Amino acid sequence: MEEMISKMKKIAYEDLSTKKVDRVIGFGKGDFIYEANPIFISNLEEVDLLVWDLFCVNNLSKYLINELKNYQKIGIFLKGCDSLGFNQLVKDNKVDPDNVIVYGVPCEGMIDPNKLSKKNLLKDLRYLRRVDEKLIIVTKQGEKELIAKDYEYDKCLKCKHPNPVVYSELLESNTLRNSILTDDFEEVDRIEDMNSEERYEYWSEQFSKCIRCYACRNICPVCSCDKCIFDNLDIGVSGKAKVDSEDQFFHIVRAYHVAGRCVDCGECSRVCPESIAIDKLNRKIIKDITEIYGEYDAGLNPSKSSVLVNYKLEDFDPFETSKGGK
Amino acid sequence: MKKITEEKLPELYSHISQNHDLFVPIDQDDSVNFSLWKDGANVNFDVLKTNTSPKKYIFPQCETFFNFKSEGKKLTIERIKSEEKPYVVFGVRPCDAKSFRLLDNVFLSEPMDRLYEEKRNRGIIVSMGCNEPEDTCFCNSFSILPNSIQEGVDVFTLKLGNKIFWEAISENGVELTNKLSDLLDDVTEGDLKEIEIAKSQVNEKVKELPFSNIDPNEINRDLNELFQSKIWDEISKSCIGCGSCTFVCPTCHCYDIQDYDGNKSGERYRCWDSCMYSEFTLMAHGNPRTTQKERFRQRFMHKLVYYPNNFDEYACVGCGRCVGKCPVNMNITKVIRKLGGENQ
Ligand code: SF4
Ligand code: SF4
Ligand code: SF4
Ligand code: SF4
Repeated sequence: MEEMISKMKKIAYEDLSTKKVDRVIGFGKGDFIYEANPIFISNLEEVDLLVWDLFCVNNLSKYLINELKNYQKIGIFLKGCDSLGFNQLVKDNKVDPDNVIVYGVPCEGMIDPNKLSKKNLLKDLRYLRRVDEKLIIVTKQGEKELIAKDYEYDKCLKCKHPNPVVYSELLESNTLRNSILTDDFEEVDRIEDMNSEERYEYWSEQFSKCIRCYACRNICPVCSCDKCIFDNLDIGVSGKAKVDSEDQFFHIVRAYHVAGRCVDCGECSRVCPESIAIDKLNRKIIKDITEIYGEYDAGLNPSKSSVLVNYKLEDFDPFETSKGGK
Repeated sequence: MKKITEEKLPELYSHISQNHDLFVPIDQDDSVNFSLWKDGANVNFDVLKTNTSPKKYIFPQCETFFNFKSEGKKLTIERIKSEEKPYVVFGVRPCDAKSFRLLDNVFLSEPMDRLYEEKRNRGIIVSMGCNEPEDTCFCNSFSILPNSIQEGVDVFTLKLGNKIFWEAISENGVELTNKLSDLLDDVTEGDLKEIEIAKSQVNEKVKELPFSNIDPNEINRDLNELFQSKIWDEISKSCIGCGSCTFVCPTCHCYDIQDYDGNKSGERYRCWDSCMYSEFTLMAHGNPRTTQKERFRQRFMHKLVYYPNNFDEYACVGCGRCVGKCPVNMNITKVIRKLGGENQ
């Protein structure tokens, strides 16, 4: 980690001082050991704030949309999942890749403070470090050795691309991390196995928990409309009322609007304050796409045509198949 | 003062439920929220911060003022009457209990808010002290002690081991306590000693918390200076304008009024709104706050400057929910520090 941090500082310093970039987006340390935050650097003095640790979980790619309105050329640190988001932003014409220098950072998986907290390990946490598949933590009570994957974010456990899929500079050789530690579509299968009433009940309950803060939308690199219909009451298709119909409408529209573009970065589920299973809906759609059109990972290969945007005559006709689950 | 053991709580819950809707922190799908108690519910008093705050019982996310209908030239307006049962919220932490009072300042001063008043009067607040404040708690920065009995609560409880101590505070509290007398035991001298010790221990613990040096009273620049400050550009940069902080916050109280328009009939309702949103206070000419920086500034100026100007108290209770929930870890503690609100 230390080595990585010095590399990050070095490259940010070099590129800012040679005016190769006029802005750098990376991570800085927060108030707690278990906190890293997005930071934005234009002054050389601030380069020293850059960090890299087990909590750099945010997908920074979406910040490019706004930052490029004020800066010419931006250097950005992206992990594997973030780089998929970046590619999709490029594909959606939201970001011009010529104005971006991607510093690729291979990722070993990020640690979820909530999982530490549930085991009462967050309080008085003084130090933590990852050694391969082990997590060494030091609290007031002394040192403990844990299994890292028990504390990784859910999204990291399902990560297929820990290594950046696009970059201008790769800061470290690719990680050999064994990706996809849990069965890819196991959870989706479980929902498909329900009968339609059970399924309706499951989703109604999930969606009724929604407080409609729209954190899931705002963090998402592919939810990038200038004006979302849920921020535009004048068009009269949705209201702000906290009722089941509106909650469900929001969730279905969100899921369908990212269908085929969702890069499965898991940010939406991570940020949901009500822990709604947003990822399961996304993954159901990804599963269907895989079954209907073959293996397709949004954000992986920007030159490949978009699976739901480009129509081919020989495309499968979904109206001929059975609906929903099994 | 009375007490009850943890094992007997379900009995107490079902007793209260006979005449009231009872809301308690319930653990469901791995997250704890205040919800309606039903037999077998997984009540959790170990987690201090429920996901969202119990303010939803006095100020629901959405409520209807009236229904309307037009027939020819006639317009009928039907006022919505409350028919709900009296309710009890059990387990309201001192920070959240204080937030109820802060909302009272807004909704119960003239012109009185009818819907709010009705809900407020219908409820009994059973508060619960905290023994193990979390890293993200900073109630003490707003002079709220984790074991304090806040003004306006009806009953104060404290859970030590498997004993729950129960102290009626208001008339309503006494009435409820009397109804439960069969289930509650008297406390002993030893119990009182135990409570004393726990209280003084927690008062020491809060001094050791990571945010203990946060002190908004140290912010001494005037309104204009704060408003114009350059720091807003810097600290609002990472904010994605999601509004999570406002929706989980016990003291945020902005709302929007909308019509559900069903052509010939409809409903006028209000619902929570967030200053972090682009369409907040949208007017015919557009939005008065056109950038996220201005929206972000509004939230914190409201809590730290505007509200205190009106009511002489801060509109934050240091519950720390926003600290845990912000997707980018930007929150009021960072803002207070940036504005100079820190004890050295
Ligand atoms: S983040 Fe969660 S609570 Fe907020 S709008 Fe999305 S699903 Fe709803
Ligand atoms: S929908 Fe969720 S998983 Fe998909 S790209 Fe957006 S944030 Fe990532
Ligand atoms: S601003 Fe944050 S800490 Fe303060 S009351 Fe609201 S949620 Fe709690
Ligand atoms: S401060 Fe955080 S929680 Fe609040 S709107 Fe901004 S990003 Fe969302």
